[in-house]
Amino acid sequence: MEIADALVQMGKYIGAGIAMGIGAIGPGIGQGNIGSRAMEAMARQPEMVGTLTTRMLLAMAVAESTGLYSLVIAFMILLVA
Amino acid sequence: MKLNLTRNEKLFLSVFGIVYAALIVYVIISGYEFDLEGVGIRWIYQLPFGEGPLSRINPMTVFMTWGIMALIIIVAMSFRRFELLPGKRQTLMETLLGYMLELTEDAVPRKRFIKPTFVIACTLFIFILIANIITAFPGLNTTVTEDGMKLTLFQDTWYSPTSDLNTNATYAVMVLVISHVFAIKAKGFSTWIRSFFQPHWLMLPMNVISEIAKPISHSLRLFGNIMGGGLLVLIISYLIKYFVMPPFLWGFFGLFIGAIQALVFSMLAIAYIGSLLE
Repeated sequence: MEIADALVQMGKYIGAGIAMGIGAIGPGIGQGNIGSRAMEAMARQPEMVGTLTTRMLLAMAVAESTGLYSLVIAFMILLVA
Repeated sequence: MKLNLTRNEKLFLSVFGIVYAALIVYVIISGYEFDLEGVGIRWIYQLPFGEGPLSRINPMTVFMTWGIMALIIIVAMSFRRFELLPGKRQTLMETLLGYMLELTEDAVPRKRFIKPTFVIACTLFIFILIANIITAFPGLNTTVTEDGMKLTLFQDTWYSPTSDLNTNATYAVMVLVISHVFAIKAKGFSTWIRSFFQPHWLMLPMNVISEIAKPISHSLRLFGNIMGGGLLVLIISYLIKYFVMPPFLWGFFGLFIGAIQALVFSMLAIAYIGSLLE
């Protein structure tokens, strides 16, 4: 393999790793906030656990989406040309 | 903790365990080699006419979309007669649709548009739910190798149309167009145009960009979840051969994440349509 190809390959792997790693920070913080607040609410009002759990999962799924963009970008870097 | 199982459950669990163990033994004895070749590459058919991206189709997406539509139609045919005392299936459907109707009534402020919004969101929900749930079961899929394309049966889960961005982008753009058509119908053309110049005409580019960003985030959310889930299952199974249960991972990514994402997609569709009607 020529040195240029090797450099391109190296750049792809490093770029995909950085994209996924940094992109996972935001959703992590967001999901942590959602989870902690939902736990507080559940402790305060245990009779609301059912509705709170579904709302919490929905909010988590929405907060996750920015992380998924970085996942898509990482796959694009790795797989698409 | 003591488990209380009925006789049928014990029978089911033991049959499931025996089949699973037999499959693992069969896979090890037959020397089936799993490699990551062709993962993430789709079977693409080049049409004989035209050129560019619009002349290529994904045949598996088309097949599976029509298959799921046929399944939904067959199931819907059996609901023709509604009974006063609902049975199990009718109760399930009534609970599901009633929940969606409540969500729609909360989000859509104009009474005239509650029913169309509800119908659109429910159709999207049912289709996407079934499309996501079939990724939890082994079935027909395609792999691309160096020799060409080959169909595989029961080596991977069913191919889901929602793991193709074309499907998701179609629905997202459809929701955007429908929401603007409803807004024009409800508020009149001049009010609709004026809503882009709120609160000041300097904000016009911002408003246009926020409208364009809606379908992008809407479609990429579903696509990333389903496609990324499938790839993650493949990669985890590749790393830990035969020890991690793929059914467990398929169940998590297919049933759990799939159901939540279907609900999120339809709820966001309701929210987008409702937010423009205010």
